[in-house]
Amino acid sequence: MSFEPKILGILCNWCSYAGADLAGTSRKKYSPNVRVVRVMCSGRVEPTFILKAFEKGADGVLICGCHPVDCHYAEGNYKVMRRIPLLKKMLSQLGIEDERVRLEWISASEGDRFASIVDEMTEQVRKLGPFPRNGGSNG
Amino acid sequence: MKGDMYITRSSDEKVLNEAECGGAVASLFKFALETKRVDAVLAIKARGGNRYDGIPVLITKPEEVIETAGSLHCTSPNIARFLKEYLDGAFSLKIAVVVKPCDAKAIIELVKRTQINLDNLLLIGLNCTGTLPSAKSKRMMKEEFEVDPVDVVAEDLEDNKLTIRLKDGTEKEKDLAELEEKGYGRRENCRRCETNIPIMADVACGKWGTTDRNTTFIEVCSEKGGDFVEAAIEAGYIRVEQPTSDTIETREKKDKEAKELAQQWQEKDFASLKAMSTGERFNYWFGQFSRCIKCYGCRDACPICYCKDCYLEADRGLVDAGEVPPDIMFPMIRATHVMDSCVNCGQCQDVCPMELPLSRLIFLVNRELAGIFKYEPGMDIDALPPLRTYTDAELAVEGVELTF
Repeated sequence: MSFEPKILGILCNWCSYAGADLAGTSRKKYSPNVRVVRVMCSGRVEPTFILKAFEKGADGVLICGCHPVDCHYAEGNYKVMRRIPLLKKMLSQLGIEDERVRLEWISASEGDRFASIVDEMTEQVRKLGPFPRNGGSNG
Repeated sequence: MKGDMYITRSSDEKVLNEAECGGAVASLFKFALETKRVDAVLAIKARGGNRYDGIPVLITKPEEVIETAGSLHCTSPNIARFLKEYLDGAFSLKIAVVVKPCDAKAIIELVKRTQINLDNLLLIGLNCTGTLPSAKSKRMMKEEFEVDPVDVVAEDLEDNKLTIRLKDGTEKEKDLAELEEKGYGRRENCRRCETNIPIMADVACGKWGTTDRNTTFIEVCSEKGGDFVEAAIEAGYIRVEQPTSDTIETREKKDKEAKELAQQWQEKDFASLKAMSTGERFNYWFGQFSRCIKCYGCRDACPICYCKDCYLEADRGLVDAGEVPPDIMFPMIRATHVMDSCVNCGQCQDVCPMELPLSRLIFLVNRELAGIFKYEPGMDIDALPPLRTYTDAELAVEGVELTF
């Protein structure tokens, strides 16, 4: 039995959740490894959410928001766009692969793209293995 | 005016003789108090004459200023934190504060977060190439200089040498690099610090650019600083001369050399961490943080950590109560909250009872971020913290990568 990664997906209510919904209504087949949480705007996502997800058992976190300029609240996605590199620098310095955190812009019409991103990320995290827990060591 | 430079000395005989470098800074403080430009002066004093135990003191009587004259190199109180926490962030008191570059940067960062009121402050900056850790310095005096630490009355860092003067007037000097190879010398973060001249304060005072040991070189760094110095000159508290272009050049050259040395130390200290593979880093840092006793010292000491309702408290649901060592969440949350604005004051590492290399970690990631966000903490009062702003360039980005 190969390792099944648990990926938390944090999707913004407007573009990306609608895009994911489109993947569903189009009956796209894609990896079932992403558990979706809906927020009003990707700008609500802060590094602490992602860290907490890892603490509680996630192996990867996928954050999806509207494309730049399309944010329903005008600037939310720019805020998350700055937070993610900061988080990734910190994670990679502490020895956690920064590919476990991924930010994507998904528009409401990009159902196919959402499905392929989920597939891609699932494979990537599967190769990385489970998130290294306290006391464990990362090979 | 901003940019003016003077060579100064006190016009008061007593101050000239008792203070260091001609007593200009002491006289400026006396001027500020006697003319009621400020309600109090915040300076550092050796508690009970102990040079290794510097404490912040609030002076309201001009005659007490002289007791704080003379730089204490073997101690490093947390001026910015002290100002914010115990002096109400200068919201209710006009204060003249003596600041090293890191103290000034920390104060500027706190002003940006509305924790300190800059309008009520007069920042008298002092040039600094580093301070030394208290306890280790006492050992250094005994083992390297072979003197009783109590006999030291002055220390000086100049031209890569540490010179000490003893009670009996004799001086001893040692090569700073040699001392630091042995684990003595300056605090770790000081070795890596590139900010030697506090241009973010109102005035920057130091001995670079002087030829006479009994004078202080002052550069005016703000309009407020300029008005203050000009008034002090007019009121006869300090005597000034114009520096020559040679001495100004010497000062720039020394600053540049100190910056280069700092960059070399950064490379040296960070090299082994950056060279580690992901697995090695994981083992190293998780191993380090497994020694954490969750004393909250780092959080309490850090000037950037200003939140009244801290995420790290047990009632926020991120860090469990009673769990020691805390989950890796604890240092990860602290790092993500402060790393964009770390001013490299080193207080976190100083205060950690388990001697975790906190300043090394946070400043390392801060240097990497500075390249992405193009933000230098504490330098420009008008530059918002990087997570609170975005540039027009980002509005045009199509992907998720930040490219300026």
